This record gives sequence, C-alpha cells and structure tokens, in this order.
Amino acid sequence: MLVSDLSKRFGSGPTEVTAVRGVSMDIDPGEVVLIMGPSGSGKTTLLMMLGALLKPTEGTIRLNGQVISELSEGKLPMVRLHQFGFIFQDFNLLSALTALENVALVASLSGRKNGEASRKAQELLSQLGLQERLHFLPEKLSGGEKQRVAIARALVNDPAILFADEPTANLDSKIGHEIMRLLRSIAKEQGRSVVIVSHDQRIKDIADRVLWLEDGQFKDMIRLATDPVCGMSVEQDEAAHRLDYRGERYYFCARGCLEEFAATPERFTAGNERIGLTRSLPDL
Amino acid sequence: MIRLAIRNLFQNRTRLIISVGGVALALMLILSLDGIVRWIQTRVAAYIDASEADIWVAQAGVRNMHMASSSLSSERALEVGRVEGVDSVTPILYLTNVVVAGEERTISYIIGLPEEAQAGRPWIVSAGRGDPRPGGAVIDQGIAEASGIGLGDRVELLGADFEVVGLSGGTTSLTNSIAFISSEDFARLRASPDTVSFLLVRVEASAPPDKIARLIEDQVEGVTAQTREQFSAQERKVVRDMSTDLVTIMNSVGFLIGLAVMGLTVYTATLSRRAEYGVLKALGARNRDLYLSVGVQALASVVLGLAAGLAFTLLLAGIVPRIVSNLGLEVSLESLGKVATASLIFASTAALLPIRQIRGLDPAVVFRGK
Amino acid sequence: MLVARKNLIQEKTRFALSVGGVALAIMLVLILDGFQVGMFRQITSYLDHSEGSLVVAQEGVVNLIGATSLLPLGTRAQVEAVEGVQGVAPILSQFVILDLHDKKQPAYLVGYSPELGGGPWEIVEGREPEVDEEMVFDRVLAERHAIGVGDRVVLMDRSYRIVGLSGGTTSWMTSFLFLRKSAVESLLLSPGATSFLLVVVADGQSPEIIRDRISRLSGVDAMLKSEVQANDSRLLARFFSAPVRLMTAIAFLVGVLVVGLVIYTATVERQREYGVLKALGARNRLLYKVVLAQAALAALVGTGLGILLARAASAAIMAARPQFLVVMQSEMAGRAIVIGLGMGLLAALFPARVLAGLAPAEVFRR
Repeated sequence: MLVSDLSKRFGSGPTEVTAVRGVSMDIDPGEVVLIMGPSGSGKTTLLMMLGALLKPTEGTIRLNGQVISELSEGKLPMVRLHQFGFIFQDFNLLSALTALENVALVASLSGRKNGEASRKAQELLSQLGLQERLHFLPEKLSGGEKQRVAIARALVNDPAILFADEPTANLDSKIGHEIMRLLRSIAKEQGRSVVIVSHDQRIKDIADRVLWLEDGQFKDMIRLATDPVCGMSVEQDEAAHRLDYRGERYYFCARGCLEEFAATPERFTAGNERIGLTRSLPDL
Repeated sequence: MIRLAIRNLFQNRTRLIISVGGVALALMLILSLDGIVRWIQTRVAAYIDASEADIWVAQAGVRNMHMASSSLSSERALEVGRVEGVDSVTPILYLTNVVVAGEERTISYIIGLPEEAQAGRPWIVSAGRGDPRPGGAVIDQGIAEASGIGLGDRVELLGADFEVVGLSGGTTSLTNSIAFISSEDFARLRASPDTVSFLLVRVEASAPPDKIARLIEDQVEGVTAQTREQFSAQERKVVRDMSTDLVTIMNSVGFLIGLAVMGLTVYTATLSRRAEYGVLKALGARNRDLYLSVGVQALASVVLGLAAGLAFTLLLAGIVPRIVSNLGLEVSLESLGKVATASLIFASTAALLPIRQIRGLDPAVVFRGK
Repeated sequence: MLVARKNLIQEKTRFALSVGGVALAIMLVLILDGFQVGMFRQITSYLDHSEGSLVVAQEGVVNLIGATSLLPLGTRAQVEAVEGVQGVAPILSQFVILDLHDKKQPAYLVGYSPELGGGPWEIVEGREPEVDEEMVFDRVLAERHAIGVGDRVVLMDRSYRIVGLSGGTTSWMTSFLFLRKSAVESLLLSPGATSFLLVVVADGQSPEIIRDRISRLSGVDAMLKSEVQANDSRLLARFFSAPVRLMTAIAFLVGVLVVGLVIYTATVERQREYGVLKALGARNRLLYKVVLAQAALAALVGTGLGILLARAASAAIMAARPQFLVVMQSEMAGRAIVIGLGMGLLAALFPARVLAGLAPAEVFRR
C-alpha cells in the first residue's frame, strides 16, 4: 500500500480541524507497522482512511497499484471485503451469532456458499485454538477468545492487509501478549501486512516499524523518551520537564510527574531503565 | 445474512413480542370483526337454512324475514298448494316480540307453527320436544339458561303465559332469538283471522325448486316465491349491507395499526443494531446485504404475527360462544385472504423503511466514541 | 459531533413515535365511544321529537324499536277518555327492508296521520303526505341513493312517490320512513291496526300519574317516553357492547405496545448511563421513576393529540358517510386521560424489566 500526502480536514472556516496533515508512508507485504501517538493525534482518523472507511480530503492511497482513495462508495465494500481485515478494540462481534457464524457470515458475504463458508470458518478458528468454542455466543467468550474470533473473521477472505485498532486494550497482559505474537506470525507466515494503532508500548516488541503520529504528522521516533511515572512517550527536544538522577536523564510529560518522581525516585528506578525500552508500570 | 436476520429477531425477546403482538392485534381487529359479521349472517339465515322448506312464499315484494313483515291470506295457501310440483305447504305465523323469561326480557322472533308442521320446526332440540302444541312454547336454550328457567317453567309471550315444553339450539343471534308456539295460540293472540306470514313449500322429489318457485309466482297473485338458497342469501345480504361501512372503517384502522407497529418495530430494531450494521459495512458488507437481513427480519415478524393473530382469533371463536351466549365468530377463507394480503403489505413496507437508515449508515461509526 | 446530533434527532423521533402510538389508540377508543353515543342518539331521536310525553304499547312491549306492537281494537278511544289526556296520536309502525340500488336498506316505517301527529318533525324539502300513495323519505338516505322529491320508491310490492324529505331521521342501521297510517294499514293487510299511541298530557298534569292510569286498562302498557328510550338504548347496547369492548381492548393494547417498544428501545440504548447511575448508588426505584416519567409524558401528550385527532376523524367520517353520527363528548376527555396514563403505566413495564436486570458493572465494560 502506498500512501501519498494524505490529509483530512473536518469542518470549515474558523472551526476547521486538521486531523491528518500530509502523511506519506508505504506498507509492504509481511510488514508489521505500529502507529503510536497521543490521544487526538489523528491515529484513528489515519487508520480509517487506510481501511477505506473514510475519504481523505487530500492525497491518495494506492493498493497494489489501484487508487482506492477515490473509489465511489459503491465499490468500496469489495475492497473492504477482499483486501482488508479489521480488528477492533471492542472486538465488535455480532452478539446474536456464535463464533463460527460470525466468521462464516463474512465468508459468505464474499459469495461463498454456506457450507463452504462454515468449513473455512471452522478451519480458521481451529487454527487459532478455538475448536471447543465454535458454537459459543460472544457473551460466553473471554476477551482473548473474542479477539481471536475477530482475527479469524478478519482473515477469512484472505486479505492483503490487516488493520488493528488498539487490539490489546481490553485484554490482560498475558493474553495481550499472545494476541500480539499471533498478529506477528500472521504477517510473517502468511505474508500479510499488519497495521496496528495502539498506545500499548509492548507492541513495539513485535513491530517491524514504529511510527509516531502527533498533531496529524509523523514524528521521528528516535528522539522519544518515556516518562517513568506515567509511561507516556515524550519528545526529548520538546520536553519542558526533565531531571537528572544518578547519572541518567529523565523526561517527564508534566510537572506533576516530575514532582512525583522527585519525591520518591527509587520507586521509579527499580530495575534498569534505558530510554526507549518498555517498562511495566505498577498495577493500577 | 438470513441466519443473521433470524438470530437478531429472536435475540431480543421483548421486541419480538411487541412486534409480533402488534401485528397479531391489528390482524385480530380485522379478523374478529369480519368473524362477528359472518357469524351474524349465518345465524340470521339459520332458521331458513334449516327450515326443510324448498321454497319460501311471502307477501308480494317481501324478500326478507328479519326486520320485515309479511301477510298473506290463508286462501293463498290453498292456491299455492294447488300448483304442480308442490308436495306440501306449511303456513307459519311470524312476528317480532318479547319473550319474558324470569327477569329477562328478550326480543324474539315468534314463530307460530301449525300442528304436525312439515317444515319450519326447531332443528336442534336439546330438551323436551320440538312441537309446541297449544299452550306450549319452545325457547332457545341459551336464553333459558341465562334466565334460569327450564322445562315446565312459565314464560310470557305476546302477552300470554306459556309452558316451556322444549329447548332449542342454534336459535339465537346477537340481538334476538327464536321462540316457537302453536299457530293456534298465535292467531288467537295476535293475527288477524285467516292471515299467515309465510308459506313453507316442499316440492315433489324430482321437481326443481326454482322452477316451481317461478310457477307459484306466475299462478298465484300477490306473492313472492324464493328458493331456500335465494331467501337465505337475501337475509345474509341485509347483514352484510348494513355492516359494510363499519367493517371498512375498522379494517382500515386495523390495517393502519399493523402498518404502524411493523414500521415502528423495524425502525427501532434497525436503529438499535446500528453499531453492528456499521461493523458489517466496515467488514465489506454491501447495502444490499443489509437490506436482505432487515427485510427477512421484517417478513419473519409479520409471518409470526399473522400466525399468532390467526391462532388467537380461532381461540376467540372457540371461547366466545361459551362465555357470551349470543355472540360468535366465524373465520372464513375470504377473511384470511384479506388478512394475508394486509400482512404482505406490512412486510413489504417494513422492509423498505430502513433502506434510508442503512444507506446513510457510515461504517466509520465503529469508531464512535474515539 | 455527528453522533451527538443524530442522538438528539433520535430522541425527537422516538418521542414523536410514542406520542403517535398513544394518539392513535386514544383516537380509536374515542371514536368507538362517540359512535356508540351517536347511535343511541339516532335511535332515540324519534321519541325525542315526537308529540306527547307518554307512549302506549301492547302489553309486554317496552321498546319502540325491536318488537312489533299491536294495540287491542278500541284502545285509542279508551285512552282518549282517560282523565288528564289531552291528545292522542296513533301510529302504525313496522321494520321494512328496502332494496335500493341492489343494496338492502332496513327502514323503520311509520304510518301516521298528519293532523294528529307522530310524523316527521323536520321537513327539509317538500311536504307531508296527503294521500296514501305519498311518502316522506329520509334526506340523507335519499342523497346516498341519488333520489329526491318526485321519485318513486318500491316498498314490498307497492310503489310510492316521495313528496317530502325529512331531516334528523337517519341512522347507519335504519332510517325512518313515513306514510299515512291508512297506507300502512293497507300495506300490512291490517285495517284499523295501531302499534303505538303517543299521548299528550294536559297542562299541569303529572305524566307519571296519567301513565299509571292508562296502564290500568287491559291489554296495554303505558310508559314515559324516557323509559322507552332507555329500553331501546339498552337493547342496542346489548348488540354492540361485546364487539365494541373487544375493539377498545385491542386499541388499548396496541397503545401500550407502541409506547412500550419505544421506551424500551431508548432504555436499552442508554443502558450504560443507567448502569452508571446504579454504580453511583441510584436505586432501582429512581430509575423506574425516570422511565415512568418518560412514559407518562408521552401518554399525556399523546392523549391530547388523540383527542384532537378523534375530533378530526369523526368529522371526516361524518362528512364521508352522513348516516354515521359520531358524538365527541367533553366528558370523555377526562376518561381518555385516564386511559392514556394507564397505557403509559403498562408500557413502562417493558423497560422496567431491563432496568431491574441491569448490573452496575455495565459501566466498566468499555
């Protein structure tokens, strides 16, 4: 997928808001791309445009040569169905259908007959370890199981790209980890691109590339630090609050975090800290 | 998508009950009113249908029995008897009056029967005898029950006392019932001498009734002769014609209600599944796929509503006569046809309504709240 | 932003829908009631407008409409001789069926003497009959069948000429028809017969006392006009009460369903907010009150609208079918409100179940 100079503006005149500003990127097959950034940075808007759910105000998106950003609404379902797979933070499974039916439905949308759709669905779900849960309704599935069903659903029509919006946000740490590795293996073993939007620092571990989106634009990741108190990423150059402690420089997102750190620095420095590494925070 | 439709429909029990219930009620409005009118028609014509007379002869120009009066001189009876093909002539006396049984006053059609009448007798005798004979009266069993009287008790008719010698069945309709006394008593109390109301004619074995009826009209002056079927049809027509406007209004109302309920349910159902439909769109479902799902849901609701409405009406038809002695329901194929057509229209409209909703649904809605 | 706007529109639409449901149901109930009242009025109109204050009928007959009454010969002279009786109008009446344009039309035939009274009280066009062959026809019925003064009507096997059209003599079930008494006697082959006597009581005399006096005569029953009207109304009520009650019950249930559905849907959509309230300590009772308030509001507004709709609809019905009389009584408004609130209360039961089962944990599920 080739993205050129993509912009999205909402509203007009004095109330105009630019959510995405001239973003360009390529996504190669088999690549895991992680897009991070603070809330309101335009990550979600960017994802929506990449996934053909939102039309850009400017710029183009090309998929395998075809310009999809200018396709009419009538042609988009085909693209969404066959080229893309979507995974959501809230799983978004259809509540009235079983796990198997949820996946089979999407398979049948692409024209497969019911029997074939069911079989394909069953195959995928079994691969993901859900063969005991095929006939369970979503309300009876755990978070991790639901996300796996969602992944099966996203894969059933053999998409080129998987888009994931905060896929681990509603999962506990261990399960989240598993899901992440699952996404990576899908990319590497099946040659699909995986684009993930997330706050979760741990996903950096499995990503090939990490892009930092702030105020609608990509910023250089290299010069990012992590606030040891709240875990947020902070730009070193811009950081207004910094503190040196025992030979290390720490960057903070706000004065409050700095003061908290200064009060009991041992709390936050237990274990080796290096800028850029993820760090697990005390349980909230 | 069809499976989705059915699953969605049954997932929400409350909404299902409401939509099916609403459609059922609307259809019941139509079916039950039709049923009542039809039942009245049948009851009104019951006496004639069961009369065992092939031809009914009345005063010239009189084609009905209820809400009408007919007077013939007894000479006519003789003249009619002389017409070729006529086997027997039973003259009956008839008028509307009040039967006083216990504390109850009921408007009744009083029939005066001659002795050993060949036609026009009570056709279901549930107690006692069907031949009143002088001094006796045969009254409807429902009326008797309602007033707490039975065989041997006394009732008042045409201003005189009679002994209940028999109870008849099938002789009541919404407003009135039929009571039988001897024509002797009748004439004594009411009729001008030598006057009868109707002549009930039985024809010979091979004679076609309508031909004989025409012969009677040709040969006897001042009479109108109709076959039993013709006369019965005239009676039903009175009820039908009287109730047309009412039935039309009620049918329209029922129709509108059904339409409104279906439209409303489909609208709210689609609305509440906005998020899920948005997800489907994001995953690549076309508008067409969603229309199918919503459409099937609407159709299924209506079919269930139709079945429920029909079932309840049939239930009513069974229960009502047991509770209210002078009311009943008759469900006919014509009624069913009407109701099935209405249901089809409900379903089609309901399926079309959410098209705008779905078309305007933005798949980006999956990110609501972000 | 877009979502918030859509939410608000939904609120208005939802409110409109629930109001509409109640309005339609109330309208139906009011029309059914108005129809019954109108019918009673039509049925009693003859006695409302005819002469005298007493009705004398054959013993045992207490209705004008429904039973055939035949007074013993000589009754008229006897009644006229009773002290306190000022005047007597004899009528010979009978239900008949007219075949007009292939439609059966029941009519109540009244044979009277124009000099003595008992005939039409409002001649809209033409005049009263002077000879046996002449007839006064109901104006509305004439219009429906496109006939008028000068046309002929066949009754039984005789033909009569319309010389006058009467007003106020119509009902959807039957209409009144007037001939000279002698004409009816001839038609029914009962010379000298009389069904009823309409008795005018002398000034200052009490009608009840005169009634009792007349009743002492053999073979007759005398009643106040109001008593006869009450009997006729009761007779009619028996005819209609069951079907009307059935229709009213159905209308009520439909109203409940519609409001119930709308509020139920709204409650389900707002589950999270209610869950938050619960988590903050709100008791079920408070939440019920919220839902109940919604229902009550919709019910009240809907009832108001329903009353207006009923008036409009009844006017439309009467314009399209003038033989129907739908009377909107102001007292019904009060009853309508009670019925409407009843609908709202029952409707609130649907969402109440949702609220009861709502776990406060809902709020954390995001």
